Parts: sequence; C-alpha cells; structure tokens
Amino acid sequence: MSTIIQEAKFTCALGAQQSVLGIPGAVPVIHAGPGCSQRQFSYLSVGSGYQGEGYTGGGQIPCTNSSQSEVVFGGEKKLAKLLDATYKVMKGDLYVVLSGCTAGIVGDDVKQVTYDHSTKEHPTVGVDTSGFRGNNYKGHNIVIEGIIDQLLEEAQPNVRKGLVNVFSVVPFQDPYWRGDLEEIKRILEGLGLEVNILFGYGSKGVSEWYDIPNAELNIVLSPWVGLGAAKLCERRFGTPYLHNPVLPVGLKDTSAFLRKVAETLSLDREKTEDFIKSEERRYKQYFVSMGDVLSDYAPYLPYDLYLIDDSAYGLGTARFCTNELGMIPQAFFDIDVPPATAKELIQASLEEIDEAWKDKLIDEPDNAIIRKAVEQRIAIRQTKSLIFGSSWDKDLAERTDNILIFHSAPITDNVILNKTYVGYNGGLNLMQDIYSGVFNRKKVSNLTHGETERERNTYGTAKTGGSN
Amino acid sequence: MGELRQIAIYGKGGIGKSTTTQNLTAGLTEHGKKVMVVGCDPKADSTRLLLGGLAQKTVLDTIREEGEDVSLDRIMKEGFGGTRCVESGGPEPGVGCAGRGIITSISMLENLGAYTDDLDFVFYDVLGDVVCGGFAMPIREGKAKEIYIVASGEMMALYAANNISKGIAKYARTGGVRLGGIICNSRNVDRELDLLRAFSKELGTKLLYFVPRDNVVQHAEIHKQTVIQYKPECNQANEYRNLAQAVIENTEFTIPTPMTQERLEEILMEYGMMDLADDYKI
Repeated sequence: MSTIIQEAKFTCALGAQQSVLGIPGAVPVIHAGPGCSQRQFSYLSVGSGYQGEGYTGGGQIPCTNSSQSEVVFGGEKKLAKLLDATYKVMKGDLYVVLSGCTAGIVGDDVKQVTYDHSTKEHPTVGVDTSGFRGNNYKGHNIVIEGIIDQLLEEAQPNVRKGLVNVFSVVPFQDPYWRGDLEEIKRILEGLGLEVNILFGYGSKGVSEWYDIPNAELNIVLSPWVGLGAAKLCERRFGTPYLHNPVLPVGLKDTSAFLRKVAETLSLDREKTEDFIKSEERRYKQYFVSMGDVLSDYAPYLPYDLYLIDDSAYGLGTARFCTNELGMIPQAFFDIDVPPATAKELIQASLEEIDEAWKDKLIDEPDNAIIRKAVEQRIAIRQTKSLIFGSSWDKDLAERTDNILIFHSAPITDNVILNKTYVGYNGGLNLMQDIYSGVFNRKKVSNLTHGETERERNTYGTAKTGGSN
Repeated sequence: MGELRQIAIYGKGGIGKSTTTQNLTAGLTEHGKKVMVVGCDPKADSTRLLLGGLAQKTVLDTIREEGEDVSLDRIMKEGFGGTRCVESGGPEPGVGCAGRGIITSISMLENLGAYTDDLDFVFYDVLGDVVCGGFAMPIREGKAKEIYIVASGEMMALYAANNISKGIAKYARTGGVRLGGIICNSRNVDRELDLLRAFSKELGTKLLYFVPRDNVVQHAEIHKQTVIQYKPECNQANEYRNLAQAVIENTEFTIPTPMTQERLEEILMEYGMMDLADDYKI
C-alpha cells in the first residue's frame, strides 16, 4: 500500500514495540531515529485508551537515536553499545531489538548484532520492523515470529497434554487487549486447559514463550494475525494448530469456538458441555433481563450496522451483531490491510451468518473516506444505526444522531482498563454499551426510524414545552 | 580567471574514469588552471596518480575517527601541478550507506570552505554504476552542472552511458545539469570512433574527444603518476593536453536524449562489427 491516507487507524511495523511491552518482563530496544518510538507510544498507548507506559514503556524505551553517522557508517556498533548499556540499567527476561526505517534502508543486520549479544542471562532477539515493511499488524507478526525463531532456536518440544498457546489480538492496537486476553484465557481454562496467553497481566511472561514448543495445540484467533507464528511452530516443533478466524463474541460463537477446541483436543465431552452450559445459563439470564428495554424502546433501538474495525475484531463483532442481536448489515470497513486469503475467509464467514453481508466487506484503511461513505449511507437509509469505530468517528455519530461504540484505536474519549468485547463477557459488555447508547448520547432526539426533525416538528408528536 | 566549472565524470565501472580524470586534470594544470578533484568512490583511488599513491585519508574516515570538527587540511592534499585532492571514501564494505556518505562529504567540503574563488575546475569522479540517489548527489543538487561520460566501443560501456544519461535527463529539469559530451577511452574495438560518434549523436551530444589506447598510461599508473608527469614528451601526454583543451573550449551542453535498448542495439549492429568473414580467425 503506497497511497496517502487520512486518519490512520494503525501505525507502522515499528509499532510492534508495544507488542513487546505486552509481554511481562520483556524490554523493547529500538534501533531507529529520534522520535519514532515516542510516536508509537503516543498512538498506541495514549491513543488507545490511555494505557500508560508500563514496565520500560513510553519514555523509558532504550533507543539508538540514529543520526547521520549511523546512516553513513552503519549503526550496528551503536546498537551494540546500547545493548550493553541496557543490560546494565534495565532488568529484563527478554530483550527484543526492533529496527526502524533508516536501519532497514542502510541494511544494518540487527539479527547478527543480537545474536552476538544474546546470553543466557540476557536473551536478546532482533527483528527488522522497518516502517516501510507494513503496518503494526504486520510488525506484530514479525515480532512474534522473530521471538519464536530466535529465542527458541534450539528448543526441543516436550509436549504437555492440555497445554495450548493462543495467538490472537494485537496488544495496544486492540485497546481492550488486556481484558480480551483475560477472557480468552478464562474460557479456555474453563475447559480444563493450561493456557499460554503470551501477553498481558494473565501471562506468566517470558517463561510462557519458552514453553511454546511444549503445547499440544496452537490456537489462532484472527483471520490472519498470528497465523504465520502457528505455521512456524508447526514446522519447528510439529505443533498442530487450530485456525479459528472468528474472534468469538457473545454466546453462539464462543460456545462454537470452545466446542471446536474440545473436539480438536479430544477433551471430555461432558466436562466441556458442563462448562459451556454454565456459561450460557449465566449469559442468558443477563440477556433476558434486557428484554424490557428491547421491547419498551424498540422504535429507538439501532438496526443498521456499520463496522470500522480490523479483521479480527470486526469479524467477530459483525457476526455477533447479526447473529445474536439481529442487526442489518450495512458495511464492514476492514482497516488492517489483510492479505487476500484472509479477505476471502472473512467474507465467507460473514455470509455464513447472513447473506446480506454479500459485498458489504470493504478493504479501506482511510478513515476519512470511510466516514464519508457511512454518512452517505445513513442519509439514504434514514434508519437508526450502530457504528463501531474510534474517536475519529465521534463527530459522525453526533451529526447523524447515532450510537457509536469506541471499539478500535484511536480512542481518546475513554480510559480503558479491564474491559473486554470478546467471549461471553464481551458479548454482555457489548449489549450493555450498545443499548446504553440509546440513552447516553449527547443529543437524545427521541426520533424513531426514518423520521426527520422537521417531520416531527410539523406533526408535533414530540414537540413539548416552549421554544427557546 | 573565469567562473568555476564543476564537472562530474561518470561511466561504467573500470572504464578508466579515474585515470582519464587525473590525466585530464594534469593537462588542465599545464594550461594554468586551478583544479580540485573530489573522488566520490568508496574505493578512494580517484587521486592516486595526482598524489603519487594512496596518500590521502578520506573524508569519511576522518569524520569516523575525529568527528566533524576537522580542518580542511586534514582532508585535502595538494597533488601534481597544485591540484587539490579530496577522497570522499565510504563505509566498510557491506555496511552503512555510501551514497549518503558522499552527500555528507560534499556538504562538509562546502562548510569548510574548500570551494575557493581561485578555483577554475572541480571534478567529481563518481563510481561506475550510479546505484542510488546518493551517487547522483553531484548532479542532483546542482553541484556539478557539467557531465562527461567516459565510454568505449564496448557494448556494456555504451549501455551504462545511456543509463547515466537517463539520470542526467531526469535532473536536467530541476538541477540545471547538462551533458558536455562523451570521452572515448579507447579499447581498440572495431570501428570504435564511428560507433562512438553515432552513439553520441543519437544521445543528443557529441564525442568530445577520442583518447587512443597506449600502454604508457598503464606504465604511468604503475609509477603512480599521470602520463604528463611520467613522460611529458610522449604522444599520449599530448592527447591528454588536447583533451584538456577540448574541455576548456567546450561550449556545447545539452540535455541528453537516452535511447531505448532496441535502438542502442541497432547502432551496435550498424557500427560495432567489422565484416565477420574477414575477422573470423582461429
């Protein structure tokens, strides 16, 4: 992709420094010019629900701050010096060197430098995340594959029954990654599995990465991100993988996912169904309690569905909204520039739920173009709509008087801690937020579907009180 | 003393750019001209004949070891006939960016005041294959307004010359750079003079000078000298004096019209071969 885009919803491959920060105990070391790392932090941490610096994040990230001298003579020596200094002042279980554009163009061999530096005490790997290689989804793949490839170079698998690795959402790029991963881990543990979730507070940190070769199964919960890592593990350690393109949201997809995992691992059927049943019972009780709202406020509830999301989050949420909430598919703008094979998977998965999804999947990373398209569609449809988007879309939702769920980065309107839109709990959270939106909008017009402000005033059905 | 003429010499690797440039420079000094030669090749052998050996520490080595705060005399040496010699140099093979190194070197020369008013000519001897933007630096930013391409009757030399002309044509619109002509460094191939004339004409320029092949050039090189210094009375020394004269007198500067590969091959077919039946011997 080489076009200019407005209102980007991702950063460049170097943004994968945040993926490293997502691994407890891992230290990113940046080999790039001044400012690169800081901008990644600004977008992916501040701009992703104010997630803070964390351990060795933000302004603490070691960086070579490459300048002219490193361009002309190569920056490998400076990187080597930086690594030595980093070991002295930053305690880490794993150091991951990520190179930026200048190092990539000049051809610095970061992998060789880290290979020379890596010791048992300071395990270090190096990856080329030059910004021109692609966005941070790609960068995330480069990092996880780089760690598996280099950290586990000599590892031999010693398979432990019931152990699974999970490759799913991209830390920080998914603003709810912490909550999401906790939920994914929770439901898999519900099946009696031991889970290497690899990122986030529920992860044991780098020791989980060393444990990767011992898994019985790798689970990929995304149409394309993490798939390369699972294939790499299959080649290197012979670990089979389950590719579930749908990041499950709500009751139906979550239960289906769990059954698929159980079947793949030949888990005890009764135990599996017991867990699923107990989760579903709880879920349904909550769902039923929302019945009054759904019936009493039916004319004001959103029907039309627009998603401005990445492949993983968008697909799972689109399926949930059409399959469980009965919304009408209008458009899913996929922003992460997925490979062609993933696009086919997403399209097929959507149409499996509702054939109305045909031709509604649009590969578009430019949020300004997306907003315009959504606004035009809303103007034609005149139907109450639900928009999954980011802080870029706040004005659109306000102008068109529709509900916006802050679902993808950048989000600067909410502080995000432990919240998930994935799994059973994610489905409940989504319903909560969607229908709260009916009441919580800045401007609550009480207009029903297809009714304009002018009509309402003309027929006087809702006009109350004096004018001011 | 006239206006400073900054000249870049390009051409296929190994064609004799450095040899020609230094012998030409020696000729210019005999005409009383003040000349600076800036070697823009990581190999740093553009001033060897003028300095009597690889006596020069390169700009980039100096920066690497001493930082950017150096005096001009650390990087510029005086060579034969009062020429000022500078070698840009480059990073170690396989690391860094030599193109950016040349940009750095030239900027440094400017900052240190190397371009004095008494200079008549500055030559940039650029490495053979202009592989990236950095090596186009002398023409890109309008440093050198005049280009000469060293070529011979060999196909790859002409192919390279045509490619270089594409670069010149590209920068001619913004940088004001012009092609002054082709200098043939003869390899004694068939009908070389005719071929080079036809090629130059097709390229929208002229064959500025035909330097015949003479072993004295190699002898002089072994002695680390220009021909004019080594054997001032020999015929080849006169050839270089004449080349210098041709450069001094040259007023025809054009934007080249590079040709297609097909057209280049047509010209080669037309001029580049003797009658095969006569020539074929085992």
